[in-house]
Amino acid sequence: MQRYAINILFGTAAIVLVALAQAGILDKYVLTVITFMGINCIFAVSLNLVNGHMGEFSCGHGGFMCVGAYVGSLLSVAFFTNSKLFGPALFAPELAHFLFPLVLVGASFAAALFGLIVALPSFHTRDDYLAIITIAANYIIISIVENIDAIGGPRGFSGMKRVVNSMSDAADLPWMLIWTIIGLFVCVMALYRLMTSTYGKGISAVCQNEVAAEIMGVNTNRVKIMAFMVSSGLAGLAGALYAHVYGYVNAQSFNILKSTEGLVMVYLGGMGSISGVLLAAIAFTLLIEGLRFIIPWLNDVLHAANLLPASYELSQVWKWVIIPLILILLMQFRPEGFLGNRELTHVFPRLKRWITFR
Amino acid sequence: MELFLQQCVNALQWGSFYALIALGYTLVYGVLRLINFAHGDIFMVGAYIAFFLSTAFMAPDGLFNFSREFTLALTIPLTIILTSLVGVTLERIAYRPLMRKGAHRLYVVITALMCGLVLENGNLALLGASRKTLPVLLDRSVYFLGGITVTNLKLWVILAAMLVFSGLHFIVTKTRFGMAMRAVSWDKFALPLMGIPLDSVIVFTFILGSGVAGLGGMLFAMSYPVLEPYMGVMTGWKAFIAAVVGGIGDIRGAFVGGFLLAFVEIMVAAFLPSTFRDLFAFSILLLILWQRPTGIFGKPLTNKI
Amino acid sequence: MPLLEITGLTQRFGGLQAISNFSFQLEDHELVGLIGPNGAGKTTVFNIVSGFYKPTEGDIVFGGDRINGLKPYQVTAMGIARTFQNIRLWNDLTVLDNIRLARYSWLNYGFWSAVLRLNRYRQAEKAVETKARDVLEMVELSEYAEELPKNLPYGLQRRVELARALAVNPKLLLLDEPAAGLNSTDVDGLVRHIRWIYDECKISIWMIEHQMKVVMSLCQRLVVMNFGCSIAWGTPEEIRENPDVIKAYLGDETL
Repeated sequence: MQRYAINILFGTAAIVLVALAQAGILDKYVLTVITFMGINCIFAVSLNLVNGHMGEFSCGHGGFMCVGAYVGSLLSVAFFTNSKLFGPALFAPELAHFLFPLVLVGASFAAALFGLIVALPSFHTRDDYLAIITIAANYIIISIVENIDAIGGPRGFSGMKRVVNSMSDAADLPWMLIWTIIGLFVCVMALYRLMTSTYGKGISAVCQNEVAAEIMGVNTNRVKIMAFMVSSGLAGLAGALYAHVYGYVNAQSFNILKSTEGLVMVYLGGMGSISGVLLAAIAFTLLIEGLRFIIPWLNDVLHAANLLPASYELSQVWKWVIIPLILILLMQFRPEGFLGNRELTHVFPRLKRWITFR
Repeated sequence: MELFLQQCVNALQWGSFYALIALGYTLVYGVLRLINFAHGDIFMVGAYIAFFLSTAFMAPDGLFNFSREFTLALTIPLTIILTSLVGVTLERIAYRPLMRKGAHRLYVVITALMCGLVLENGNLALLGASRKTLPVLLDRSVYFLGGITVTNLKLWVILAAMLVFSGLHFIVTKTRFGMAMRAVSWDKFALPLMGIPLDSVIVFTFILGSGVAGLGGMLFAMSYPVLEPYMGVMTGWKAFIAAVVGGIGDIRGAFVGGFLLAFVEIMVAAFLPSTFRDLFAFSILLLILWQRPTGIFGKPLTNKI
Repeated sequence: MPLLEITGLTQRFGGLQAISNFSFQLEDHELVGLIGPNGAGKTTVFNIVSGFYKPTEGDIVFGGDRINGLKPYQVTAMGIARTFQNIRLWNDLTVLDNIRLARYSWLNYGFWSAVLRLNRYRQAEKAVETKARDVLEMVELSEYAEELPKNLPYGLQRRVELARALAVNPKLLLLDEPAAGLNSTDVDGLVRHIRWIYDECKISIWMIEHQMKVVMSLCQRLVVMNFGCSIAWGTPEEIRENPDVIKAYLGDETL
């Protein structure tokens, strides 16, 4: 029982969160921030599989999120709504809250397939050359989406709000929060279990010494395909959730900047540390949202202290100056990220008694 | 055919910008194995420095009120010097301490990305979103060669890229500093033991790379006089891609890669709907990398057991 | 029938002929040494046998099956394991994990079993764990199971590599300079271990080694290579007297 203490704690926290949202104690803004935190967590840990555990430098992860977002949106619009694009709904909209996992799974599989764009060249290419291939993949995916006029092209695609609404109509619950929590749980569980199995440790072996891995019996090409597909598939899951929380997708929201955010979270948390990356994703989301309030406050304080000329207002643009500066400083103090390549349970061995993923 | 030749001239001009930025990427990479993702923004900084210098020099009621020709002659070297100072500063305060601590090389890369964000957003925050326009520094004259029109500025840009390339090639292959630069890329630890000052070599590399990017930024601002803080982002990423396709670490590769990328982009945009530009350009690059996994001039990766 | 039979092996890298017409036979349960001056192509032969290079010409037959052109992991699965001249361990995985990974070819479960922790996964992992512990026991490394290899002294790292190769259940063990960089106490221990493995596991061992002490005390037969060709073979005593070998090592004194 003791071994499940933290698992139960997390479970209760999730239920309490949903209950608070249901009771209307958390306002819409806080709820959205929490949901995005979860989505960022999924996005970051999935990238961590390739950039942390496998040691490649994939900087086009946003592209796979884009595939997931679009495929997820298209599926859910086709399944649950009458639309010009797909005609009448495939399933009754009342079933949306039961069949929504189908959408998520479909989006993940589609994104995983696109992961092959990167996985196949990775047989021959490594390091910075592979980094380029990932950037190119990111651009190519966005460009493909923008050139398909049927799904809105550069104008974006919407209609998912109706699906979310029909879920709430069927049962009045904060559905997107629930799906995000479930998605995050599935994602972390899957990655943790993968990376503790001998099968998944093949990924670490490829990272640490590819020649030895190849010669000692690890089918490195299969490992790479597996890692890239799992990683991009989970990014697709994050994308599908993102699309439904927003109710609108646009290819440009998954450009190289989104990928950069993912990179920041992974390297801030520590390459190859699932718990570290989760912490970093949470901290990063909080930082972004927190600055939204801190900047106006800072503006008032500085004006009051006459440190700023009266004509100059500290705008939200400063957010993207302050965040990178903070990150640069953090990197100087912890050049291996929050946890390095260790997990929280390695840093605090006592935690092991309280948590289990088996 | 005429259209094709005309596009070739345009591609040469674009390629010159890509090549000028890619050269900086490749120089730094060749020495430190560091992808200096802030490099595109250093290009932007170069354009802004050129803007501030030339407007200050030419302001009729200002301190200097120089003539146009004199301003041009003065702005070019000053831009190069000031931009290289920015590059060296980044190396000094952000990259060097991190590398000293023995951080994983990707952490330095992320720091570089962050430095780039600081530069572009800091610029936006300080100078505002209003677009700046570089004053005209060079009279525009148009030459007609058959059906092709060429402006003198285009010729200058292409010529500048060629000159910079030959100069860098000379420095890297023929001078003692160039030899030291190549030596650093082989073995960073043996270098100080041989009595070569590692830090000076690195600083020199950053000076060269950023100076060239500053020149590129100035020429870009002269050709397309509207400046904005994010102008270096896309150009920077693409120049990096060009450098890798050419074979990163090899300056011939950066040069050829820059022109190749520009050529593909311009031709796709000229003969296909322009929305396909990125799609085709990047797919072609993927194919090139598929066939030559380490770029055109890159040495094949070898796994020695 | 010989366990390993190499006929007319030739390897070219671009214009460089690294191996030319190399032939060799290794019987079941035999301990053979491969010696020669630096750059003679010894490691290249090992790389070809373990599937890392595809030979330009020639045949490699292992246990009756032609294995040239197979991928390294397929060769390993057939029962050829090797160690490396410069140690290649997975330094951020524990010693136990290093050994477990050598059983990768025998994992009969995939991604979904691992993630869903199916019964098949549990059984396979249990088998892998037992095997890994056994091997560690065998080379007297059990107490280091949870250590990271990078924190171990050099001699122990060599032994971990040996253990990892043994975990494959090899029929043929290729040792690439196992004594390189060891001090004389470690070398004695290594010789003891190799002899013990050879006697207990009834496997064949083919080793590259420069230290004559090791070669002379272990090998029943030696092959000498120079410039990619085999120039001599025979018992250690015969090799010691062979004029061609002396010439290869010491140079032609008549010149």
